[in-house]
Amino acid sequence: MGQIEWAMWANEQALASGLILITGGIVATAGRFTQWYFGAYSIVAGVFVCLLEYPRGKRKKGSTMERWGQKYMTAVVKLFGPFTRNYYVRAVLHLLLSVPAGFLLATILGTACLAIASGIYLLCPAGGCAWRAVDAHRAQAPGAA
Amino acid sequence: MGNWVVNHWFSVLFLVVWLGLNVFLFVDAFLKYEKADKYYYTRKILGSTLACARASALCLNFNSTLILLPVCRNLLSFLRGTCSFCSRTLRKQLDHNLTFHKLVAYMICLHTAIHIIAHLFNFDCYSRSRQATDGSLASILSSLSHDEKKGGSWLNPIQSRNTTVEYVTFTSIAGLTGVIMTIALILMVTSATEFIRRSYFEVFWYTHHLFIFYILGLGIHGIGGIVRGQTEESMNESHPRKCAESFEMWDDRDSHCRRPKFEGHPPESWKWILAPVILYICERILRFYRSQQKVVITKVVMHPSKVLELQMNKRGFSMEVGQYIFVNCPSISLLEWHPFTLTSAPEEDFFSIHIRAAGDWTENLIRAFEQQYSPIPRIEVDGPFGTASEDVFQYEVAVLVGAGIGVTPFASILKSIWYKFQCADHNLKTKKIYFYWICRETGAFSWFNNLLTSLEQEMEELGKVGFLNYRLFLTGWDSNIVGHAALNFDKATDIVTGLKQKTSFGRPMWDNEFSTIATSHPKSVVGVFLCGPRTLAKSLRKCCHRYSSLDPRKVQFYFNKENF
Repeated sequence: MGQIEWAMWANEQALASGLILITGGIVATAGRFTQWYFGAYSIVAGVFVCLLEYPRGKRKKGSTMERWGQKYMTAVVKLFGPFTRNYYVRAVLHLLLSVPAGFLLATILGTACLAIASGIYLLCPAGGCAWRAVDAHRAQAPGAA
Repeated sequence: MGNWVVNHWFSVLFLVVWLGLNVFLFVDAFLKYEKADKYYYTRKILGSTLACARASALCLNFNSTLILLPVCRNLLSFLRGTCSFCSRTLRKQLDHNLTFHKLVAYMICLHTAIHIIAHLFNFDCYSRSRQATDGSLASILSSLSHDEKKGGSWLNPIQSRNTTVEYVTFTSIAGLTGVIMTIALILMVTSATEFIRRSYFEVFWYTHHLFIFYILGLGIHGIGGIVRGQTEESMNESHPRKCAESFEMWDDRDSHCRRPKFEGHPPESWKWILAPVILYICERILRFYRSQQKVVITKVVMHPSKVLELQMNKRGFSMEVGQYIFVNCPSISLLEWHPFTLTSAPEEDFFSIHIRAAGDWTENLIRAFEQQYSPIPRIEVDGPFGTASEDVFQYEVAVLVGAGIGVTPFASILKSIWYKFQCADHNLKTKKIYFYWICRETGAFSWFNNLLTSLEQEMEELGKVGFLNYRLFLTGWDSNIVGHAALNFDKATDIVTGLKQKTSFGRPMWDNEFSTIATSHPKSVVGVFLCGPRTLAKSLRKCCHRYSSLDPRKVQFYFNKENF
């Protein structure tokens, strides 16, 4: 189990949670449920989480499968430096973001999923936990596959 | 196009039937809940979202029945064996079991989303009608309380003005199991993406066992009877179509209509999932039983670049080319089973696999076998699985293309072809083989290299040098290697591989290759087999179309999509 990069799964889970938050938020806002403003918050939080988590970080070992079109978001994520690079910061951020959505039934699933993603990010070993951008232009040896 | 239809008609038919059943069940349940008089009063509070939720629930039941079946690999092997009279194309569809499993999973996710959204609206409607004080039909229905003597003929699960929907969700069986099931489903899906599966298999394998919570939750989800319809008795007494308008007078003594009584819908999910769950339990018991059968390791070979070859024997084990086995090593991990393609030929008296270090489990296994002074670890084997690649022997000319790790099944195929050729086996129609091996560098496959060398020697001894024609393409070259090759151009053997046939650098130019083959065999049927990436499959398929002659008597190339 030592070689598992939990951050990679946390990234998938967080991206899914973002989508769930957006969906729950849309349902709550469109249906004008009681306290639907939490739904509006949930949409915004969901979009933010999705944008942050969309670019997949570079794996420590082996090649990383990039998501389609992720290089545009990579540039933005790189801008924020340690706030987006450090996985512990992401863990705390996701935990805080998930709390307000927990007040509404429509978005509580998003809360649970984002909290779980936050927990998985915390499984990262100390000192080895940083998001690194996948380089768009890799220097290639001639003829390398 | 014709080739595609012949190979895929059964898959297409199967998928059409499955989708059709989904649509039919959805529409049927939707109409039932939208039109039936039994749910007339329920609809007065909830509207169409009741029918939406129930329709998606039925589809969820149907797909949950199907989801466990494609992963019962022993059951599928049994089907494959009993249906040996069926054409091979039909039996090959069983190899797509995991694709079907994923499709059903996506459908479950879709219906889960519809079901949850519909119920969110339902709960909101129930909450509003409980809060309403306008004396409307909805509020009167909601006031039917839980504590009447005959088990309660209530309609609205939200009993008091102060109860929140969140409270009902987490205290009712339906709500709680729903949340648990959904979270289990989401975790299973996020850990099963291709990236996670290929890079960190253990995460996928262990998390996927959360399906137990999903199945258990599904079984008890409907116990609370939270979906309410009017009882038979109550409908006979005061039919909704007659009495709904006069709801203000239900309590009057001289009114014909009484207060309607409601009962919960009995749970039916367990009826859907009982049989597949029993089949799956049998499958796991069978896997355990097969794994307990003794595997004798007859030879352990450590190849360069950390490749371990294990030659084994097991009573009653019989294999065919292109099949794979699942291997478990209890001393490394009790629960993990990993698949490996068999690299031995059926004609040999042992079966073998070549294991490359590609992750935690494989590295630990190789390390365990490297220990000189400790006893050999015990190995458990389940299998073999997969449809045999017998088609390879049916073509007069066979073009075999193995890219990277895809070269592994060809070890089995080449050895088997060679054995059959030596014994002049009648089943072997092959007269010439063109083998293309494409890889970045040969390091991890030097064992395959040795296989080719020994085949080369044997062919020389038998005087059949032209039978196997192979080319190696190194795609990870640099100027040093090329320079070295250029200097040693005149040497009889290749400097990289030591084989008589020279290594080429870069990727093969398929147009040249195909046109050479077409010219050399103007009247033959050529079978092209690939084990490699999809992009390569596309180029090969294109070349097959381009170089097949329009005249059916002349050269024809058939691309075989093998499932290794």
